[in-house]
Amino acid sequence: MVAEESVRVVRCGGSELNFRRAVFSADSKYIFCVSGDFVKVHSTATEECVHILQGHRNLVTGIQLNPHNHLQLYSCSFDGTIKLWDYVDGILIKTFVVGHKLHALFTVTCAEDSVFVIINKGKQDIFQLVSVKLPKSSSQEIEAKELSCVLDYINQSPKCIAFGNEVCAAVRDFYLSVYFFKKKTTSRFTLSSSRNKKHAKNNFTCVACHPKEDCIATGHKDGKIRLWRNFDDDKKYTYTCLHWHHDMVMDLAFSVTGTSLLSGGRESVLVEWRDATEKNKEFLPRLGATIEHISVSPAGDLFCTSHSDNKIIVIHRNLEASAVIQGLVKDSNIFTGLMVDPRTKALVLNGKPGHLQFYSLQHDKQLYNLDIIQQEYINDYGLIQIELTKAAFGCYGNWLATVEQRQEKETELELQMKLWMYNKKTQGFVLNTKVNMPHEDHITALCFCNAEKSETPTLVTASKDGHFKVWILTDDSDIYKKAVAWTCDFVGSYHKYQATNCCFSEDGSLLAVSFEEIVTIWDSETWELKCTFCQRAGKIRHLCFGRLTCSKYLLGATENGILCCWNLLSCALEWSTKLNVRVMEPDPNSENIAAVSQSSVGSDLFVFKPSEPRPLYIQKNISREEVQWGVFVPRDVPESFTSEAYQWLNRSQFYFLTKSQSLLTFSTKSPEEKLTPTSKQLLAEESLPTTPFYFILGKHREKQDEKINKAFESELVQLPLTENIPAISELLHTPAHVLPSASLLCSKFVNSLLLSKETKSDEETLEDTDTEEEKESDDSDEENDFTEKILDTNNTDLGEDLLYQLSKSEEKELRKFRKVDYSWITAL
Amino acid sequence: MGEFKVHRVRFFNYVPSGIRCVAYNNQSNRLAVSRTDGTVEIYNLSANYFQEKFFPGHESRGTEALCWAKGQRLFSAGLNGEIIEYDLQALNIKYAIDAFGGPIWSMAVSPCGSQLLVGCEDGSVKLLQITPDKIQFERNFDRQKSRILSLSWHPSGTHIAAGSIDYISVFDVKSGSAVHKMLVDRQYMGVSKRKCIIWGVAFLSDGTVISVDSAGKVQFWDSATGTLVKNHLIANADVQSIAVSDQEDSFVVGTAEGTVFHFQLVSVTSSSSEKQWVRTKPFQHHTHDVRAVAHSPTALISGGTDTHLVIRPLMEKVEVKNYDAALRKITFPHRRLISCSKKRHLLLFQFAHHLELWRLGSTVATGTVESMCLLAVSPDGNWLAASGTSAGVHVYNVKHLKLHCTVPAYNFPVTALAIAPSTNNLVIAHSDQQVFEYSIPEKKYTEWSRTIQKQGFHYLWLQRDTPITHISFHPKRPMHILLHDAYMFCIIDKSLPLPNDKTLLYNPLPPTNESDVIRRRTAHAFKISKIYKPLLFMDLLDERTLVAVERPLDDIIAQLPPPIKKKKFGT
Repeated sequence: MVAEESVRVVRCGGSELNFRRAVFSADSKYIFCVSGDFVKVHSTATEECVHILQGHRNLVTGIQLNPHNHLQLYSCSFDGTIKLWDYVDGILIKTFVVGHKLHALFTVTCAEDSVFVIINKGKQDIFQLVSVKLPKSSSQEIEAKELSCVLDYINQSPKCIAFGNEVCAAVRDFYLSVYFFKKKTTSRFTLSSSRNKKHAKNNFTCVACHPKEDCIATGHKDGKIRLWRNFDDDKKYTYTCLHWHHDMVMDLAFSVTGTSLLSGGRESVLVEWRDATEKNKEFLPRLGATIEHISVSPAGDLFCTSHSDNKIIVIHRNLEASAVIQGLVKDSNIFTGLMVDPRTKALVLNGKPGHLQFYSLQHDKQLYNLDIIQQEYINDYGLIQIELTKAAFGCYGNWLATVEQRQEKETELELQMKLWMYNKKTQGFVLNTKVNMPHEDHITALCFCNAEKSETPTLVTASKDGHFKVWILTDDSDIYKKAVAWTCDFVGSYHKYQATNCCFSEDGSLLAVSFEEIVTIWDSETWELKCTFCQRAGKIRHLCFGRLTCSKYLLGATENGILCCWNLLSCALEWSTKLNVRVMEPDPNSENIAAVSQSSVGSDLFVFKPSEPRPLYIQKNISREEVQWGVFVPRDVPESFTSEAYQWLNRSQFYFLTKSQSLLTFSTKSPEEKLTPTSKQLLAEESLPTTPFYFILGKHREKQDEKINKAFESELVQLPLTENIPAISELLHTPAHVLPSASLLCSKFVNSLLLSKETKSDEETLEDTDTEEEKESDDSDEENDFTEKILDTNNTDLGEDLLYQLSKSEEKELRKFRKVDYSWITAL
Repeated sequence: MGEFKVHRVRFFNYVPSGIRCVAYNNQSNRLAVSRTDGTVEIYNLSANYFQEKFFPGHESRGTEALCWAKGQRLFSAGLNGEIIEYDLQALNIKYAIDAFGGPIWSMAVSPCGSQLLVGCEDGSVKLLQITPDKIQFERNFDRQKSRILSLSWHPSGTHIAAGSIDYISVFDVKSGSAVHKMLVDRQYMGVSKRKCIIWGVAFLSDGTVISVDSAGKVQFWDSATGTLVKNHLIANADVQSIAVSDQEDSFVVGTAEGTVFHFQLVSVTSSSSEKQWVRTKPFQHHTHDVRAVAHSPTALISGGTDTHLVIRPLMEKVEVKNYDAALRKITFPHRRLISCSKKRHLLLFQFAHHLELWRLGSTVATGTVESMCLLAVSPDGNWLAASGTSAGVHVYNVKHLKLHCTVPAYNFPVTALAIAPSTNNLVIAHSDQQVFEYSIPEKKYTEWSRTIQKQGFHYLWLQRDTPITHISFHPKRPMHILLHDAYMFCIIDKSLPLPNDKTLLYNPLPPTNESDVIRRRTAHAFKISKIYKPLLFMDLLDERTLVAVERPLDDIIAQLPPPIKKKKFGT
């Protein structure tokens, strides 16, 4: 049961994975990346998210491994804290409160107990690199206020700072500053910055230090990479140029041994410069999007690149991409709006240029990309691209219709409509019909008839050319009569007005098409115009039919800020209200309709039933920015909110996208509970790759073990298997830092190993816990009994709660029954 | 100054020959440059890079190697199989000796400067002893299979490295036998059909041999073990030349793509003493093959098929950032190749091996073959001023045929001199851009000359690159001196005040709308025009007619062989 708190607007994943460089664990098994307020731990082998480290209250801005304990991770955030995590178990160990807004974090092996952070002091644009002394203390939250400035007036981006052997290099604008830790001096090297053509793009963009040699690599805006040497001498310093990139170098990284240098940029090609020579370079091309960050695993076997389309690619040392961690693609304009794939319940929207992305809201990861335009994307300024403008799902996800357009000049419109059929064998969409120029002008709306009874799938398109067209699936002229294709069945128009919206009623019997200010209702059987509604209140912006009990109502929102509701039975206006509606979305599982209005202060949400002019629920100021799109996503498991105001959230969840492309939703849960551990973490150890070596050695060992076991069984008294002894498993499965002192455990541990009558009693207790566990596993069979000890203690608590709450829930249910209004039965 | 009718002459079909070798002499700070036609030029780097000596070449004497020996002696060797010593005083060839090994491809002087080594077509390396007045064959080293294209001495003089085709040999000088034979990888862009030519070798004192080859590689070899230590692939075409600095902390290589690469020995970390060779900066000052490079203590010198001699100072070695630290590009000879007959309107063009006489206004050309002569200027009347290569200017009385006086010696060589028609004032231009006026009758510098020396020339005047190659006078205006270098033409009006460093030197003619007062105030003695460039010759035919001979660089490049085609990004 969930205690009913107030409904809050929360971020629901889709945060930037490419905000900072990803970090590898020392053994390259895990990769860490920042993700909004969290740090995500992914397995490099399976791409799966293993842990989410939550605890920061603002954007996480830097992560680094603890150089003195490679099983720990430091993270820093805008909330002014540095946190130390045990990433194997996903536990927060310590919090250091610094106080300033932290922009980046660096750790250095030689610095005993301090880390380096970038902070903003005073003015907007002035950033400092300071070292923070982390005091040693046993408490969980420690104040770390001992700051000492290392470099002043630096760039805010962590790409512009690098640490090498006894030096720290920082770049900004046209100069490179090198701080020498031993001498405690700073040297500055300036490049020519004159405005003439040759030097205009000399700006530094990123820096990296050679791990072994005194060599600093800097990237520049004109695509050059400079390798600086002899920089401890102000006069004799020298540099080499490497030039392949034609555009800005986005990031640089040296391999662990320093033998090769990696660079990337807008070309989306990873370049490996071997021995830092210009002629000796290797490429990994076609990475899909601009490379924003490059990082190298400490073991040296993996690289990874973060891309502008919110993706991290793990790359082998031999330049082969091995894993892709893809978040919600955010760098394009959303034309299609938010949709829900009826099959996968995934959120569907524009992704990479020319693609539709299917994004799983539960797992916060992209399921797949569907290439709609199917053309090579050429990334260049000033090119007019083909845009995927409209998409719609129909017939329970069996059909997908997409519209793409490209307009170079006023009169030259290229339009294409594609219809995709879902193929069960391949579990994907296959192109079925391609219609060139389905209309003369822009397509404004697209909808399928989703009625259960309709035998032929029907699609309606509305266009600015004044027509709406009905497309039906027909038999294609194939001798086997197996192929199907879409053809135009009917073209309708109304006084040459531009068709702006179209919408089918729930049962599919009526089609509403709005022509500017006028709404027309058509019979879908005969395509006859039944009636028109005109309110003279501006062009219709949104149009939708009511559902379930409210299916007799039609709703229309106009540009002049009027929301109208017409009764289809009486053909009259039922009610109207003044509301500047930006988004209007019906809930597929209930009568509710959500409308988001825009005012000067922010956006407000109204949830109402068409039958009642009074809204069910109002939430003011859900976002400061303009809300662009919204959608109801059906819940897998319905919630049971009893209070009337939240009942609209029971069956579906409302997601919306703001102008700055943050995906938000409503939640009543506290942020700690919100992200339920859905699939409790298959760990990397369990999914070890089966290498040939494993086949040879692993199997061999098993056999050997068997033999030995057999031999021992005959000779020895049966020893209890170590796994079965609770004390041992407790000891082994509990993280070291939460264990009591060894002296306390010792006697218990030794006792557990003794072969005496006491084993029996141990076994009894074991059985006890087992039964408890069974109960528990019934409740949540998904959970893995990986951390047994913690579960055990939780179980007992939970059990008590269950008993207590059962009675309470019963009470509640009783109360609910009393409250529920059964009047709707009569309406049926 | 008034208006002139200008003969803008562009039919001087002069094409300088490509540079084949350069040799730098540290003691005298002189640079010897040989061109493909056998011409040898000597530049004085201390005297503002002035080309002070010049040996005309001959088609049969193409030089392949050039080097300085002890006592400022200059030797060259070429494909005609002869070793030539030049007489730097008399400016002629002292002697030529056949090495009897077929065409000579390479030559190197021993570190002590007393022995000469030549590599021949037949694969032999010959050691010659330099005697005070000649050279003497001493012995042959073990003969190799193919021609010896490059040679280098170990600084101790005990070993030599010889680059051949596909391999490098290391010889012991004492025994004359090959110690090591280091095979070079032929592979070039994955194709191993072509032979790999070792265009240059350099032997360092730590035993490292650096080789440059036709596959675009710069390779470091350990001569003790005969193994490859490091390989830098730097070009898609041949790397043709190499020169190491005396300290052995940097070297320079030139490629057929026209790029010059600088390599430096830098320490790996500041704490350790371990050092490594790193390619640092590329310089693209040439369009064609860089056939020869030299490394002076403060500059990288390169020359090639595109006929430019480029001197690029090393910024880290330059103490003060003055105009000497700027890049120099020398294309045209620092002497006058054109003379003009004012009365008959004739122009005489001097080419490497012939002369051309042109009549202005007509297109008839007559040609004769003559040899060249030294700098000498005769006045209208009875004076003759002559300048040697080192001493001052001597003025002779032609009527009495005896020395009248000697202009006091000046450190920098004379680039041009002329005697004014009416006053018999001798005007002398030096390579450091100083101009003197000497009164021959009074045997002393004129008052104007003293004032300008006292006040000093404008700094921009002193920063010009090219020396003044010709001085003439206006027939009607005795106060005017006309002089020009390759990039500007100047009229000095001695009646006007001299410019100081604050005034604008290169003032274009002031706009007419300004009042005469301002114009008069801003006016100074130097009237400079830069509209003709590169200007090879300019003179007044009469008081209203001017003749200017230009040689546009594009016309020269059009006559050169095409450079190696390189893909340019974005085309």
